Amino acid sequence: MEELHAINRRNFLKQAGSLAALSSLGSMPLAAMANDEHVSLTILHTNDVHSRIEPFPMDGSRNQGLGGVARRATLVERIRSEQPNVLLLDAGDTVQGTPYFNLFGGKVELELMSKMGYDASTFGNHEFDNGLEGLAKMLPYARFPFLTANYDFSNTILKGKTRDYIIFKKQGLRIGVFGLGIQLDGLVDPNHYRDVHYLPPIDTANAFANRLKHDYKCSLVVCLSHLGYRYSDGQVSDQVLAANTRGIDLIIGGHTHTFMPQPEHIRNLDGEITTVNQVGFAGINLGRLDYQFERQSGKKKLVTAGRYEISERLPALNG
Amino acid sequence: MARLIKLGFPLVCMAWSIIACSKYLAPVKQQYIQYQVGDSVSADSAYIRYYLPYKQQLEAEMDRVIGHLDVNLTKGDNAPETLLGNFFADALLAEGRKSYPDAEFSFGTKGGLRIELQRGDITIGHLFELMPFENELVLLELSGQNVQQLAQFIASTGGQPISGIRMKIKDNQPVDVQIAGKPIDTSRTYKLLTYDYLANGGDNSRGLENPVNRINLGKKVRETLIDYVSQQTREGKHINTQLDGRITRN
Repeated sequence: MEELHAINRRNFLKQAGSLAALSSLGSMPLAAMANDEHVSLTILHTNDVHSRIEPFPMDGSRNQGLGGVARRATLVERIRSEQPNVLLLDAGDTVQGTPYFNLFGGKVELELMSKMGYDASTFGNHEFDNGLEGLAKMLPYARFPFLTANYDFSNTILKGKTRDYIIFKKQGLRIGVFGLGIQLDGLVDPNHYRDVHYLPPIDTANAFANRLKHDYKCSLVVCLSHLGYRYSDGQVSDQVLAANTRGIDLIIGGHTHTFMPQPEHIRNLDGEITTVNQVGFAGINLGRLDYQFERQSGKKKLVTAGRYEISERLPALNG
Repeated sequence: MARLIKLGFPLVCMAWSIIACSKYLAPVKQQYIQYQVGDSVSADSAYIRYYLPYKQQLEAEMDRVIGHLDVNLTKGDNAPETLLGNFFADALLAEGRKSYPDAEFSFGTKGGLRIELQRGDITIGHLFELMPFENELVLLELSGQNVQQLAQFIASTGGQPISGIRMKIKDNQPVDVQIAGKPIDTSRTYKLLTYDYLANGGDNSRGLENPVNRINLGKKVRETLIDYVSQQTREGKHINTQLDGRITRN
């Protein structure tokens, strides 16, 4: 169980070297360090929750008792009460996998995510399972945007119902988030995505990362990706994306249901670090990444990374 | 056990002291900080209250008994013909024929059948688990040649759920392929009931990609299974699927 969690020490050192020597001070909450010079940001994330509203049933299966929105909600609220700046993000495939979706078409999933205060998600391939009509029907239940920069919906009924990116402002910090989806050919019934134009993910990512970083001066650029963590055949994955782009700080991934033991740090085209993280599926885990920014210089570092396993007992966050 | 395992940097560089020396920044060792498990923290009841009405509606629907099984419908161990496959393909053919009586045979893939069914009551929930996908029935009119290609796919994959068609598998090739008791006639066409996933190229199936004609029935496979079981029950029958040698291997 002791999976997790580290950050890239070398990179941390590199970035930290020129800064005042910051430290997370052991277990001291980051909020305690907030001051005029520094701003902290906590990113919480899920992917491939697949309509897992309730925990897995206690039927002897491997994941029995894990997950469930009600416990995730408690956990998220706890963290929000401790941290000044929290973003709650999701990387797609919110639906399909339990009869909640078959019977209610995505309403329950999206209303609960809205209630929990998700800040943004993206489309996985399973968002298309009931066709564009089904998608259009469920979208109004989401009070957060779906970011879909590389799906061009302009000739479909989804036109104007999703966004390419969003910029969050936290204590003067600007955090730019955009979303990328997977090629639907072969994954989804063609009738379910008719007239959707797929844009190449790497080009799209470079364009938006550049815009967010340089035009909009975002201190952190995050990509919500449903491309998948990695493939053996060279298909565009989060690993490929990270290595072939500039300006993305963090890729929150999905699709491959990968339980990453820790975030992966990949050198991008500029030789800078792009962090990739993905936390399995079904809401079994909640991922957490804590960043700290120096207000003056805008310099940042990933302070801690970890993940919570959502089970029958929740952690008391203050130990 | 729920817990956050957090990496804490040891107190190498205390607080805000500016020590511009990487030596001091280098963590001595990885330190994992593990939050304790709290007894007092529980699920947020507001969320449970929100989804409870949906859950009750869902459970009432899922627990509804619609039929009875006299045998365990199993996937078999690499057997070319299985009880689960026969049940599935028979259901597709019987229900599809209600709309298209001239449908001659049916085909599905074993990978699409997600659970085995145990003898006893059959509930809606069982059929949801068996077929969680939203696939819909498709009627394909295929050339005899395409039927032969499909038979080759079935043979090369060690048998698949079929009904209305019989074959033997020899050295991964189909032999004695028969529909309605007759060998495949390459000069005519055949009407196949399958579903959109396969008709659209899923599972790398072969022979379905160039049909002479295609009709989407607009009916989910799961609903088809539900209708099939319900029909048996209405007729006072239990489901008692048997192996009948429709695919054999030697």
